[in-house]
Amino acid sequence: MPNWLDVNPRSGVPLYVQLVQQITHAMEIGILQTGEQLPTVRQLASELTIAPNTIVKAYDELAHLGLIESRQGVGTIVTANLNGALRPHQLETIFERLDALVRDAANLGVSEQELRARFEAALARFYRGVQGREGEGDTHDGATRATVDRQQFSRKE
Amino acid sequence: MSDMSAAQESVGNSRQPAAIELRNLVVKYGERPAVNGLNLTVPTGTIFGFLGPNGAGKTTTIKTMLGLRQPQAGNVRVLGYDAVAESMEVRARVGYVSEVNSLYDFLTIPQLSAFCRSASRQWNQGIVDRYVGVFGLPTKIKVGRFSKGMQSQLALSLALGSNPDLLILDEPTAGLDPLARHEFLNKLVAEIAAEGKTVFFSSHILSEVEAVADWVAIIRDGALVVCDELDHLKQTQKTLKLTYANLPPAAEVQALRDLPGVMSVAQEGRSVRLLTHGDVEALSQTIQARPYALRGVEIVDLDLEDLFLEYMKGGDNGR
Repeated sequence: MPNWLDVNPRSGVPLYVQLVQQITHAMEIGILQTGEQLPTVRQLASELTIAPNTIVKAYDELAHLGLIESRQGVGTIVTANLNGALRPHQLETIFERLDALVRDAANLGVSEQELRARFEAALARFYRGVQGREGEGDTHDGATRATVDRQQFSRKE
Repeated sequence: MSDMSAAQESVGNSRQPAAIELRNLVVKYGERPAVNGLNLTVPTGTIFGFLGPNGAGKTTTIKTMLGLRQPQAGNVRVLGYDAVAESMEVRARVGYVSEVNSLYDFLTIPQLSAFCRSASRQWNQGIVDRYVGVFGLPTKIKVGRFSKGMQSQLALSLALGSNPDLLILDEPTAGLDPLARHEFLNKLVAEIAAEGKTVFFSSHILSEVEAVADWVAIIRDGALVVCDELDHLKQTQKTLKLTYANLPPAAEVQALRDLPGVMSVAQEGRSVRLLTHGDVEALSQTIQARPYALRGVEIVDLDLEDLFLEYMKGGDNGR
């Protein structure tokens, strides 16, 4: 039985959300692979001593996200298009982090102008390989170094 | 959240008629109302945790559901039957495990089974034997020599003998040690609820309700405080912790109190705690758009104990 599942009923996070998160995470890191079978509702209820309805709800949600499928006579299995299905969810998380970042920076007294410059610098570092050091807001002189650094970046991949 | 239904084993769904339906129930002991205008709906197929402080009216409510007490007013329907006019129908279809184990001490399990069978219309000894086996209960010695845990397990096994669609348990794990409690709850969840039966149990042990129940109701002074899906309750009830850059004026704190979704407000200097209901993210955005600078905004999840305590001290702040 899945020893990577570790739900905490005492948490303020709903149990079915914990299940969805942990099963999704197991897929992301490859513990659960495409085509693999999930425990039945009854097995998991017994294993975790939680209400069967809670597990049904988690499986419904995972099916809704396109991550698992229930097949007659086979059980619940992990479906193929893991990356595609997770993408909207991952994007949502990323953009939430962006909002949080802006808010935290503002709370620390970072001005809009400085934050924008930093963001531009970060974009430039990634996409054009500009090596702006931490604390350097200005990115305009970086263009000439771009080609070299881009090659370095590709090698790293 | 999800409207898709994966084809799992049948574990009940909310579209079926309610297993238990109480409307404006009033039950009095003399002049004193133990249950005072209680409304409650228990969806079919759920594991329903029934909570409340001592003296809130839990046991009286349960006895009324079984037709063991006459209500002074209101309606009680159990599995579609009127618990007053059709109490025999109700008792024939409901498994009941009471708070005080009143098994006959001088009988063995087979003798006790025979006795229960004689009182039941649709006894299934196979089910009883199966659970007696699952719990590993001895069949040759008298029940009086059983430990408290074994007696609870036996009471549950016998309650299942009439193959009921609804199990009502009054403090079923009271007096059990943690291991026996876990084993009892595990069978309740894995064997009984997984078959689609409705399990209604009262308890004052919040952690066990939090673990096995998917629905909860909290009553106080004989009336309903809250009734909701536990996951939904946790998802919608949050604490919002605000830290202001400067001491917020009293008018602003009052304005927070009046925002939709704010149930209560507690202020200590620059720090303000809100108990919220509904979309906490949206509420947080609304508050951040107000003209008072915030140093920090934190959304805090609440566990069942937090929620219970909030409801108990909340007075009129509950929904």
